[in-house]
Amino acid sequence: MPAALDAIVAELSESDRQERIDLLIDFARNLPPLPDRLAAHKDAGHRVEECQSPVYLFVELVGDRAALYADAPMEAPTVRGFVSLLLEGLNGSTVEEILEVPNDLVARCGLQEVLGMLRVRGLAGVLRRIKAEVTRAAMGQAQPQAAAGPPPGPAAGP
Amino acid sequence: MAESYAHPEALVSADWVQEHLDDPKVRVVESDEDILLYDLGHVPGAVRIDWQGDLQDQIVRDYINPEKFAELCSRSGIAPDTTVVFYGDKSNWWACYAFWAFTLFGHERCKVMNGGRKLWMDQKRPTSTEVPSYPPTKYHVAGDREPQIRAFRDEVLAHLKAKRPLIDVRSPKEFTGEMLHMEDYPQEGSLRGGHIPGAKNVPWSRAVNEDGTFKSAAELRAIFEQEAGLKPADDVIAYCRIGERSSLTWFVLTYLLGYSHVRNYDGSWTEWGNLVRVPIATGA
Repeated sequence: MPAALDAIVAELSESDRQERIDLLIDFARNLPPLPDRLAAHKDAGHRVEECQSPVYLFVELVGDRAALYADAPMEAPTVRGFVSLLLEGLNGSTVEEILEVPNDLVARCGLQEVLGMLRVRGLAGVLRRIKAEVTRAAMGQAQPQAAAGPPPGPAAGP
Repeated sequence: MAESYAHPEALVSADWVQEHLDDPKVRVVESDEDILLYDLGHVPGAVRIDWQGDLQDQIVRDYINPEKFAELCSRSGIAPDTTVVFYGDKSNWWACYAFWAFTLFGHERCKVMNGGRKLWMDQKRPTSTEVPSYPPTKYHVAGDREPQIRAFRDEVLAHLKAKRPLIDVRSPKEFTGEMLHMEDYPQEGSLRGGHIPGAKNVPWSRAVNEDGTFKSAAELRAIFEQEAGLKPADDVIAYCRIGERSSLTWFVLTYLLGYSHVRNYDGSWTEWGNLVRVPIATGA
């Protein structure tokens, strides 16, 4: 797991329930706004459909490093906080590092305990989606002539 | 003049709540799906009641017992004669669910704040992040309204055999059986998809406006009476998947339209779709 994410997971898992809630709220408040060039592309192709709230995710590769951007409404602080946490923990990681993030990350952070079993699956879906998008971006890089058509979203960087 | 709600006192405006923030006889309760919302800021003085952690028994699939309910009220500063005003996210789903649960235990003075949390925030009304504490009250559970407002599976089976009205408030795709769950809630599963035979599909969301407020009495009657064919004297059972969305419909039929005999089947599709020896129907 990337060191930044590891540190976040450690902090969350060592916290008590209220501290976890406060941390998640801090993450929700600190989610950076989407760059203007992406904000215009909040469409179905970038929506994380596992989440009941409108969450939009953009994955780009700069060399072998991932650049992640996302937007989620402040009225859905749980999912916004989790998305923000993932971005902070994963930005700048390699594709391999992201694919190796354990799928039970939500539980490792102790969030299941905070949020209850019923409503946490959407969060796991965000991580799955990041992995899928990173894989797709990496394959697109390796096979620019891929038959799947143009890569999703705007072209990466300069 | 427009027709008014049957029990208009069960619904209060944000203005009313703001005027009663310091009224010791009024306790405001926030009940949300996203439990972080309360921590982000809430109606000043409001207490949080969590549908899972506070209202549900953690071992038996049921509500907490009367003793636990009395404890919850006592520590929330709710006395038997306190007026409890519920509000929350998602057009007051969980607020209605908590209202229904309070009604199970016979708490009489319950109200819903029209428009819920979103309207309060959209109107930039005062908020606080302070978690209030109130002197514990002496709460005794008034009574048991369960037989009047809650349906169990055997009663639902009898109901369907008697061809009495059932209202399924889930999304159309859940109703037809195309989907086993509401979009994005894949975990609350059932073995089979479809609906209880004879049930009419009236998605809960049809009762609310874009801003989270309830539709007018005339609009609601057009939906539930002209379209779904209900009559105010009917014995009605509403259900969804775990009983939360249908508590909103229960509130609408009981308090806004004045139906005298509406029960919420909180076992709902998670129970019925898995139940041995009961029939289901699929398709529209």
